[in-house]
Amino acid sequence: MSEATADDDFEDLFETAPCGYLSVSPGGRIIRGNRTLAAWLGVKPQYLAGSPLTDLLPIPGRIYFETHLKPALGLHGFVNEVALDLLTPEGARLPVIANLLARNDDAGAHQFTRIAVFLATERRRYERNLLQARDAAQAEGRQLREDSKETRTALTRELEGADLRDQFIAVLGHDLRNPLAALTGGLALLRKEQPTARALAVNAMMQDTVGRMSGLIDNILDFARGRLGGGIPLALDNAVLVGPILEQVAEELRTARPDRLIALDLEMPDPVRCDVLRIGQLVSNLLGNALTHGAPDSTVKLMGRTNGDRLEIAVSNSGDQIPESAMARLFQPFFRGEVRQSMQGLGLGLHIASEIAKAHAGEMGVASDSDETRFTFRMPIRD
Amino acid sequence: MTVLARNNVQVRGFGERTMVFAHGFGCDQHMWRLVAPAFEDEFRTVVYDHVGAGASDLTAYDADRYRTLDAYADDLIEVVGALDLRQAVFVGHSVSGMIGVIAANKAPDLFERLVLVGPSPRYIDEGDYIGGFDEAQIAELLEFLGDNHLGWSAAMAPAIMGNGERPELGEELTDSFCRTDPKIARQFAEVTFTSDNRADLPNLKAPTLILQCQDDIIAPLAVGDYLYEHIENSTLVVMEATGHCPNLSHPAEVISEIRAFV
Repeated sequence: MSEATADDDFEDLFETAPCGYLSVSPGGRIIRGNRTLAAWLGVKPQYLAGSPLTDLLPIPGRIYFETHLKPALGLHGFVNEVALDLLTPEGARLPVIANLLARNDDAGAHQFTRIAVFLATERRRYERNLLQARDAAQAEGRQLREDSKETRTALTRELEGADLRDQFIAVLGHDLRNPLAALTGGLALLRKEQPTARALAVNAMMQDTVGRMSGLIDNILDFARGRLGGGIPLALDNAVLVGPILEQVAEELRTARPDRLIALDLEMPDPVRCDVLRIGQLVSNLLGNALTHGAPDSTVKLMGRTNGDRLEIAVSNSGDQIPESAMARLFQPFFRGEVRQSMQGLGLGLHIASEIAKAHAGEMGVASDSDETRFTFRMPIRD
Repeated sequence: MTVLARNNVQVRGFGERTMVFAHGFGCDQHMWRLVAPAFEDEFRTVVYDHVGAGASDLTAYDADRYRTLDAYADDLIEVVGALDLRQAVFVGHSVSGMIGVIAANKAPDLFERLVLVGPSPRYIDEGDYIGGFDEAQIAELLEFLGDNHLGWSAAMAPAIMGNGERPELGEELTDSFCRTDPKIARQFAEVTFTSDNRADLPNLKAPTLILQCQDDIIAPLAVGDYLYEHIENSTLVVMEATGHCPNLSHPAEVISEIRAFV
């Protein structure tokens, strides 16, 4: 290959390389630009020579060139991968990536700045998308952080409020017991004063009412204890027959509601490990619930079974079907069916029953259709 | 962290008097590396990095605090205070010119005299005032800096690997030179190019040298004239130097003008 051909080849490489070349004087004037760059800018190659480099840059690029690129070139001698826009004579922008290199003479004086320019239309679009995605992600992150902060604050406020309410309920329940005890004492005293038959009857009714109030207060206290973290406390007995307590509870409720029928069907020969007073409370709550919500003329049935390893107690009544929407919330505290607002009760009875069931490693179940509503308690006879 | 460490303050030279050099937008104290050493025989020289630039403590950067040039002026007052200086000569490049003016107005004993290299009290045109830019151009600049978020770290990283033509520069210096967190750079650009410190000029009483360059796109000649008119005790020198960074491109001329003034 001859010298001339090699020169040609280098000349051709400079002029038609697939990137733009610029050579710039220390004063910032373009000494030479290649044909590729001229074609990208839509100008004749001669147009480039002699013009200030900054003529090719829009304002931001000029500022960036003065404040960043020149200092960096002065120190390092080069800067790579700078995102720039080049201006065409028509004012259009050509997105490019540029590498800049300072050439110094032997004495170290700055001779030329060489610049290689690569088209970056697609890359710029891609980078901007990346930036937007990052900004969006950051904004979303900020929003999420704020949201979760708000949620946390609201939750803390709610929890503090709920805590106060629970404490209030516990104190109230406790304080109501003393006046009730005084009433019970007073009623007992009056019964010894040779009352008339009518006074005795009234006395018995009042005693029933006091008993019902006492039951409500027990529920409130148990509820508050559960909410305050204590759970339902159990006094476990290793082997106790449950049948007699069910009979006793049924008898108490018959006394309280002489107009209603409670039918018992008990086959409970196996002793059970449980807190028998709590089981009595559970059944009392279930019976109370059935008497309140069942059809007034219907018989409430109490069924009890032990079958070796399981205890099952069911209370059923006829009456309206419990709506599907209410089923899930029956055992939540303060839940009261919407059907009969006038009915008494706090809506704690079923909740306490289910808590007592849980404390015994057992469970409450409910089934309701147009014929019958049945609450069932099941627990293992031993741990 | 002490003020001196926070602002990466470097003290050199000998002399009764002190010269404090402050760098402008886009770089750090190395902007003064060709100028400050010339004064080390007669002056104690102080160079430092603004918080967020160079080897300053980046954790000290608080976007809320550094939302105006005032915060940078307060830092300057703290730096000078930490060195127990009075009546220093202040030399500020670019936006640091105005940072020096604000500091001098807040603490009149701070500086005996000021040298402002390529200063501008306002970059955006307004009414009769010519700053050189319109608002759209500044908005475009801020967007442009966003484009170089990705390129910026890559642009500077290779410098760590090889600095063949300048073996005298240590790797540490090379590493920190002009490196700026892109977010900080963007906010500093916004603070700089949207600042308006024209009202501060008449309050400046210390003798002030305004050094201007030809063809300085960032501080055009009209801005120099404006400063000269509004700073009472000022001298305006339009140098042979071109561009915005004569401290790098024409250090000898800058040195001789400063020397003549002090």
